[in-house]
Amino acid sequence: MFQIRMAAVFIFLLMLFSFPFNNALAGEPTEQLKTDVDNIIKTLNDKTLAREQRNQKIINLIRQRFNFPLMSQWILGINWRKATSDQQEKFISLFTQQLENTYMGRIEAYTGSYAENNVKYIEEEFKKGRALVKTLIVTESAEIPVDYKLSETKGEWRVYDVVIEEVSMVSTYRNTYGEIVDKEGFDGLFTRMEKKIEELKNSPAPEQQPT
Amino acid sequence: MRKIGFSVLVCIIFSVSFLAPVFAVDNHIDSSLVSEENEEGIGDFEDDPFAEESTDAKIADPIESFNRASFWFNDKLYFYLLKPVARVYRVVPEQGRKSVSNFFSNLATPVRFANSLLQLKFTDAGRELGRLALNTTVGVGGLLDPAKSLGMDKKEEDFGQTLGRYGLGQGFYLVIPVLGPSSLRDGVGRVADSFLDPMTYVLAFPERIGAKAFDTVNYISLDKDTYESIKKDALDPYLFIRNAYAQRREALTNK
Repeated sequence: MFQIRMAAVFIFLLMLFSFPFNNALAGEPTEQLKTDVDNIIKTLNDKTLAREQRNQKIINLIRQRFNFPLMSQWILGINWRKATSDQQEKFISLFTQQLENTYMGRIEAYTGSYAENNVKYIEEEFKKGRALVKTLIVTESAEIPVDYKLSETKGEWRVYDVVIEEVSMVSTYRNTYGEIVDKEGFDGLFTRMEKKIEELKNSPAPEQQPT
Repeated sequence: MRKIGFSVLVCIIFSVSFLAPVFAVDNHIDSSLVSEENEEGIGDFEDDPFAEESTDAKIADPIESFNRASFWFNDKLYFYLLKPVARVYRVVPEQGRKSVSNFFSNLATPVRFANSLLQLKFTDAGRELGRLALNTTVGVGGLLDPAKSLGMDKKEEDFGQTLGRYGLGQGFYLVIPVLGPSSLRDGVGRVADSFLDPMTYVLAFPERIGAKAFDTVNYISLDKDTYESIKKDALDPYLFIRNAYAQRREALTNK
């Protein structure tokens, strides 16, 4: 009888403790990130795919893992609140296009020298519901620390910042875009972004060079 | 090398391309998310729980017009002189160029050792000594880096970082012609560090310039067009590199 009661208490405690852990299972951000990173590398190296097909597949993988609206907000920082909702919308749209085109350039320039095991997952930290996944890209000539910051919505951890060699992408964009907004206003920023998007669309892939 | 090549090094930001800050997302706004985040204040840019790991480093730039001129000059120097030379120099196999890089790095050990000591980082100082001993002997005069495979990783230290460690700010941003991005503090640091550089004592001035140039060309030959990528992608490469420099120096100082 006593044992049964103990067992009941034990099970109750187990249930109690298991709830928070179910919501934020350790390793989940890393798992989700790793799955997509592996898929991107696999797709990049997949010679059977046509170029268009390959590019589209990668873009889709990235779209599902990056939290674009949140990132845009962070990049505009205090200017986000100063902006009208039209301006906010326009910024997200332009920023998306700019990065999409940047990314296409990268894919085109890819020489196929990476494999899944070039990316080492070092550790994972949680703070205030956000996660930080530290990785290391290991190649013959260099080791590059790349950290991802992720936030969670409906069980999906999505990236809102990438920190490469201690340099945060969001910080860099916030600083440079902030300065442009201060000097030239939102219109100035949008004009520059539109011009850059055109440039990126029309420029050929950077020449490939052996190292 | 660590100096001149710094603008390039700092900018590695886009060279890891496909894993890095390149992505694209739906064009439409997820308005529910945006408004929700606003209400909770999550969208507040000061609210990043990991912010201290990538501080929003800012650097004053009172002499921007001079810096921009200097930046323009260095840009031309890179594209018309250093890069073409580096391209030809790439006939040397990568392993050989990597060895050259190791050699110069080993030679600069006194700078890292002394600055570790000055910051009371005794373990780091000890590791630098160990690296020097191992790499100079087993590593054939510093051409190889066996210490690294034993887990003794190199840690960049310089006098600019030492000054920063004791609370001195960057002062202001300074782009030095030929040498690249720096600051008042780090510029002073470079001068101090040059007294710890063995080459200062062994080589005559013109030879030293030659050695530095060789180191730089070697560095660029190993780099994967990082600077080109930044020029291509950034709205304003000058602002981009200035901020990346500030962030990276801040992070190095706090390490």
